[in-house]
Amino acid sequence: MVGPVNGGVMLQFDFFTWLAGIPDWIYGILQWIINLVLGVFYWAWGIIEWLWAMVFSPANFMFLFRAVLFPGLIFVVLTLIWAVWFTRKLWGRIQDRRGPFHIGKYGGLQLFADAIKLIGKETIIPDNAKRWMFRFLPCLLLVVVLLPFCFIPWDFDFWYISDLSVSLVLVFAFLTAVPVVSLLAGWVSGCKYSLIGGFRAANNQFAAEIPMIVSSAGPAMLAGSLSLMGIAQAQTSVWFAVVLPVNLATFLIAAIASVGVFPFDAPVADSEIIFGWRTEFTGIYFTLTYFAEFAEQMLYSAIIVALFLGGPVGLPFLPGAVNFTIKFIITFFFFVLVSSSFQRLRQDQIVHYCWRYLLPLALLNVIFAMLAIVYLPELAALLPLGGP
Amino acid sequence: MSPNILDEAIDVWFGPQHVSAHGWATKLTLVGDYIVKCDPNAGYFHRSAEKVLEYRTFRQGSLVMERMCMLEAFLAEYPYVAAVEKIAELEVPDRAKVMRTIMMELSRLHSIQFWWGQFNAELGFFTMALWPWVDREYSLDAFEELTGSRHTVSFSTPGGTRFDFNEKVLKQINRAVKRFEDRLPKFRDMQMGSPTFRARTKGIGQYTAKQGLKWGLSGPPIKACGIPMDLRKDAPDSNLAYNLCDWEVPITENPDHPGESDALDRMEQRFKEAETSVEIIKQLLPQLPEGPIIDAKARAKVNRLPAGEAYGRVEGTRGITSLWLKTQDKAQSAYRAKIRGPCFASYYALKDLVPGAKFADFIVIFGSLDPYPGWWDR
Repeated sequence: MVGPVNGGVMLQFDFFTWLAGIPDWIYGILQWIINLVLGVFYWAWGIIEWLWAMVFSPANFMFLFRAVLFPGLIFVVLTLIWAVWFTRKLWGRIQDRRGPFHIGKYGGLQLFADAIKLIGKETIIPDNAKRWMFRFLPCLLLVVVLLPFCFIPWDFDFWYISDLSVSLVLVFAFLTAVPVVSLLAGWVSGCKYSLIGGFRAANNQFAAEIPMIVSSAGPAMLAGSLSLMGIAQAQTSVWFAVVLPVNLATFLIAAIASVGVFPFDAPVADSEIIFGWRTEFTGIYFTLTYFAEFAEQMLYSAIIVALFLGGPVGLPFLPGAVNFTIKFIITFFFFVLVSSSFQRLRQDQIVHYCWRYLLPLALLNVIFAMLAIVYLPELAALLPLGGP
Repeated sequence: MSPNILDEAIDVWFGPQHVSAHGWATKLTLVGDYIVKCDPNAGYFHRSAEKVLEYRTFRQGSLVMERMCMLEAFLAEYPYVAAVEKIAELEVPDRAKVMRTIMMELSRLHSIQFWWGQFNAELGFFTMALWPWVDREYSLDAFEELTGSRHTVSFSTPGGTRFDFNEKVLKQINRAVKRFEDRLPKFRDMQMGSPTFRARTKGIGQYTAKQGLKWGLSGPPIKACGIPMDLRKDAPDSNLAYNLCDWEVPITENPDHPGESDALDRMEQRFKEAETSVEIIKQLLPQLPEGPIIDAKARAKVNRLPAGEAYGRVEGTRGITSLWLKTQDKAQSAYRAKIRGPCFASYYALKDLVPGAKFADFIVIFGSLDPYPGWWDR
């Protein structure tokens, strides 16, 4: 070797010294490799240990089970598929026809067949469309609509995902984003019909949101809580539908108007503007928007059950979640019934009816409920006034 | 806001790919939510029927005509048949006259039932669209039993009819009439009593009788203004049997604006039209005489017609349907046939009627006039 060696300077390359150093060199390389492997192994082991601790510790495992399986994502998606089937079948019965019946028992698998067909279709993006937003918005819409399901109080203990002290406000915050997504989808589609439909969707929300929030203020004030769980818990002795029947009706109508299904379907009026803001969506993107509409109806049904119909309170021998689901199905039935019983309203008439009739009625019912509490002490005793 | 509002206008093509524009395209100019200009465009449904008639023999001609509007096939084929009968001077047997009238009225009923469904579907109420369509099947069953076809019936032929009634046809006509009468109160309640329907149609597409006559409207759109203009009464056809029964021309009066009609009146008028049709059918069915169904010399006479001109017309479901026919001597087919469909007038009436309306009301105005594209694209 040439260079400084053993305190002196080697001016000449010593072949044998170099030869003697080779085993050290190989050993060093081996050690480095072993350290690398061990490091990766311990790192992975750490992750596994962490995952084990997170997932399979009983509390965490059950939380994940709830979030993913039972009142969570899978359950909601299965309910969604059931809701589409239920709607189509019920519409068929109301309209003197049979609804889907070919695939599966009572047409139960029709939705899966439809979904496979829609996913298999070509995705056409118009030239004028903003491509990435066009792809992104339908996904965002479904996510925004599915997220609030985590605040639904399916049961008082254990079978719910999460409970926030302001979950009612948060749910409305999510739902206000829906028409914004619709408007954006209409905007980026690059089509006049889509744009008109997007503005109509915004108009629907504009009309329906105030009556809906005022209607939900009644239960919130009676329960002294802004949490859906708190409101449901306040109804153990008397359902708020008894005290606030008009608010129940106004909330239902405003919810239908907000979703934009049949009597209020100006945003997607097929005879006027083809399919509104959804005109240009095809294949999987259309499927997402289609499911989002049903998911929104289901969400509103669940919120109505939590706000007015006692949540999990019901038949004492049934589990709370089952009670909740029964009431949820009945509420959803009303959505389907209303959406197949009226001619479509024009968008200015939607604003007119919502503000002129729904808003004063909702306010009046809240005021009457307040007066009833003051003058009927028996009623006031049933309510947890002043908070739970 | 710019001084000229048209600077901010957008053009929207309503059709030909639009879901409710089946074979027509209208250009609408929108300012905000209001239509400022409406430009109807005929020609997207053109099938050269007038030219085809010049190449078809006189017995084949009615087969072309019924394809003009298959919803009222019995009525659509009649003007041609009437014109040929006038030139050939044929005598139509009594049984054929009564049968023709019954089937024409049943066809009118069926067409109106289809229109109810279509109008309600355009208004977003699909339940009320499918209920009349179920009842319509009863009339279609009768058509099928009588002629073997649900829509392209080829019933009337110069000199009489091609097919004869049998017991089963009579039974099915009675069934269709009974079904209609059973369901009528419910339908009327669901339609005229529906608050959303009244909200959507009251005062929409309103015009005076004078305007309507200027545009050349006829049939229900003009009878809804309170003018009893009906060819069945005004110009009784000797080859039809309307004189055998006792009936009134149905008219509708707008309670707030006499002499005007809006979409709600036109719906009411359609109810009355259907009731009148059913009344005529019920009066004619017992009067059905026995005898031949076609002039014995018809086949020989119709093969070659003498030179002449004739004008055949009938009060169709949508208005006056007529045809002018010119033949040359010993001709096997028409020299010229000119069809006057009722819907050309009502389609181009939109040009004056629609501006000022809201965009969402366009389809209500359009639907309430019941235009069928086959009648304006000949």
